[in-house]
Amino acid sequence: MSASGAAVPATQHHVAPFGKSLDWWGFVLFLVSEALLFLYLITAYVYLRWLSPVSPPMALPDRELTLPSINTAILLGSGVVAHWANTGLDRDDRRRLAGGFVATIALGLLFLAGQGYEYTHASFTPQNSIYGACFFTLTGLHGLHVAFGAAFLLVLLLRVRAGAFSSEHRFPVQAGTLYWHFVDAVWVALFVLLYLI
Amino acid sequence: MAATTIATAAPATQSRFLAWVGTTDHKRIGVLYLCTTFAFFLIGGVEALLMRLQLAVADNRLLGPDAYNQIFTMHGTTMIFLFLMPILVGFGNYLVPLMIGARDMAFPRLNMFSYWLLLFGGLFLYTSFLAGGAPDVGWFGYAPLTVTIFSPNRNIDFWILGLELLGVSSIAGSINFLATILGLRAPGMSAGRMPLFVWMTLVTAVLTLLAMPSLSVAAALLFLDRHLGTGFYSAAAGGDPLLWQHLFWAFGHPEVYILILPAFGIISEVVPVFSRKPLFGYYMVAYSGVAIGFLSFLVWAHHMFAVGLPLTAQVFFAASSMTIAVPTAIKIFNWIATMWHGTLRLTAAMHFAIGFIGNFLIGGLSGVMVAVVPFDWQATDSYFIVAHMHYVMFGGSMLAVFAGAYYWFPKITGRRLSERLGIVHVLLTFVGFNLTFFPMHLLGLLGMPRRVYTYAPDPGWEPINFAQTVGAVILGVGVLVFLVNVFRSLRTGERAGNDPWDAWTLEWATTSPPPPWNFITHPPVRSARPLWDLKHPEDPDWKRSRSDSRVGVAHGSQVDSGQPSPPPGPSYSDGSPLPELPERTYWPLLLAAALVAALVGVLVHVALVAAGLVVAGYALLGWLLSERPR
Repeated sequence: MSASGAAVPATQHHVAPFGKSLDWWGFVLFLVSEALLFLYLITAYVYLRWLSPVSPPMALPDRELTLPSINTAILLGSGVVAHWANTGLDRDDRRRLAGGFVATIALGLLFLAGQGYEYTHASFTPQNSIYGACFFTLTGLHGLHVAFGAAFLLVLLLRVRAGAFSSEHRFPVQAGTLYWHFVDAVWVALFVLLYLI
Repeated sequence: MAATTIATAAPATQSRFLAWVGTTDHKRIGVLYLCTTFAFFLIGGVEALLMRLQLAVADNRLLGPDAYNQIFTMHGTTMIFLFLMPILVGFGNYLVPLMIGARDMAFPRLNMFSYWLLLFGGLFLYTSFLAGGAPDVGWFGYAPLTVTIFSPNRNIDFWILGLELLGVSSIAGSINFLATILGLRAPGMSAGRMPLFVWMTLVTAVLTLLAMPSLSVAAALLFLDRHLGTGFYSAAAGGDPLLWQHLFWAFGHPEVYILILPAFGIISEVVPVFSRKPLFGYYMVAYSGVAIGFLSFLVWAHHMFAVGLPLTAQVFFAASSMTIAVPTAIKIFNWIATMWHGTLRLTAAMHFAIGFIGNFLIGGLSGVMVAVVPFDWQATDSYFIVAHMHYVMFGGSMLAVFAGAYYWFPKITGRRLSERLGIVHVLLTFVGFNLTFFPMHLLGLLGMPRRVYTYAPDPGWEPINFAQTVGAVILGVGVLVFLVNVFRSLRTGERAGNDPWDAWTLEWATTSPPPPWNFITHPPVRSARPLWDLKHPEDPDWKRSRSDSRVGVAHGSQVDSGQPSPPPGPSYSDGSPLPELPERTYWPLLLAAALVAALVGVLVHVALVAAGLVVAGYALLGWLLSERPR
């Protein structure tokens, strides 16, 4: 038989597509599906606000910008801190990782508190205005993601305290950080669409 | 052979039941998918027969309008979400890892999670019958019929929440297929050497990932409208009922291709093997599938011609919809050219494949007809649409499912299905199918609207309807013949051996049924037909194929430039590694069950929601913390 006949030992053979592990691909595809949830929701909002031939022009309430701007700064700052914590693991600096995650979670909770204040002091409700319906749905879903992200980081934090993760074994930490960046990025889009224009 | 010694050495399972419940083996999960979805097919089929009995004669009172509404809604929902879509996932689950020479899917536990969510989602939808009535608004549930004023009952909530569950299941499945096909191909299996079924599963996974969230969003907004008092779908509150149609069909039209592309994949495997020729125009079949996938996102509003879209939108969507006929026709010509001058072996699988081409062609052509806007205005919401849709879904996808069943049954069970009963099944199906659905074209053009529970005797619809009911019964008998065939062949069918059809793709290189680890070794992959190369060393494909040698340098070969090194771990005395067995775990099952409990809580009591979420969090942690490192 020619060279073509030599049987190949079967392994769970990992090609690393574009240099990334399968875990990374799985997690990023999960984030893609999450991003699409927001994208379709944003599309619904854009449709109702500018495109719908049926609904009347969307009435906008007076939009207070001070608190949301501070909140935006808090969330974006938390993203920087999360990045700083994650890169600490390059040199196996678990103290930096743990401290950074504590700060990230704290900033995330601060953001949620600000959001809660805004919800209770809003001049509109989900029921009495279609803008309100879009606003509460989009920011509510985002808030749930912030809460989930904080819980994600908290679990990672507890595991770091128990001695897990190193510069070699760090995928869960990367995933948690990536998730936090994703939540940040979504917020930027929401801030522009719901508050600024 | 090594495979047999390991099979006996593998730890005996204490309970066969638990071995199935806790399995992460893609083959077992695939079988679970196939059996579960076929059971849902039988339920959906009974619903179809009930409708046909009701419509057999004019002014029939067998079913009242309420029951009829529930039954046609559940028929559509079942056949699309609980049968066709997941049975094709079942084929993919069983076959894709085998076809690409992998041991399992990329995320076996996630795979298990997808299955259990599907089963629980299906059961959840069907409990609505016990809880005061099933959904009754049609499978695409148009607003504002679905908002609280017009549908105050719980049934719509069952429908919404059930679709959310099934959405999560299929999104998780699509992520799994993408990672598997991207990362677990055997050495040498570049994109240009993947079986066409793998190609089509890949495109389908992309469509599912991109389209499914639209349905999840649409259903979630409907839920908010119904329970939080928002007005997304109510014009009076500043919303727009058309928003539902846009969101639904932005999912719904890619969904049509999610249902047909894997079927194209099955046909592209079956036709060459039974024509004894390689597939004509491999790349054209693959790329036209990609083109269909791309175009499927640009055609959704052809479902909405009757709502009064702007003229430019109508022209655009009519043109884009007709454009899809081009890549589809490319495939049909490729299959015909594959059979041309081939040595046809007219097995039951091949009969179904040929029947697929003919019947699907009719559905495709009527699809072009309804893409013509003025014709659509005439035909929409009439039986013409029902005919078109069933020629695509049954004459297309369903016949491909049967073709795949006859083709791969020997691989899955180790025994062949009876060809004699198979031919009976073919005849009953083709006669029954065309007698049921072809007259619907006529009935639609005569003006009979769809979704009416009965009709007056005057318009002359009765004889046509009666003939259709006879056809449906014949079709049902065909399904019974298939079931008898399956159950008899499981016990007494002819032993298949590894490769009963003299086929060419990797799944036929292992035993039937395959061992839990799939392969100890497999033939080298140097073309799209590795088993042909193995059997014909004097005339292998890779010596002739210019294009394959070109694609051979795709990224698949970067990592495996040398001989792949055996994984570390225990090994045989001769040094070859012991295969890794699929693990058994219950965490994904617990997570799926907890999520369903939380959704039941939404309908019952908030305490159950809280309990479900707590258990879900616990299960998620348990799952992640016990994940074994790669």
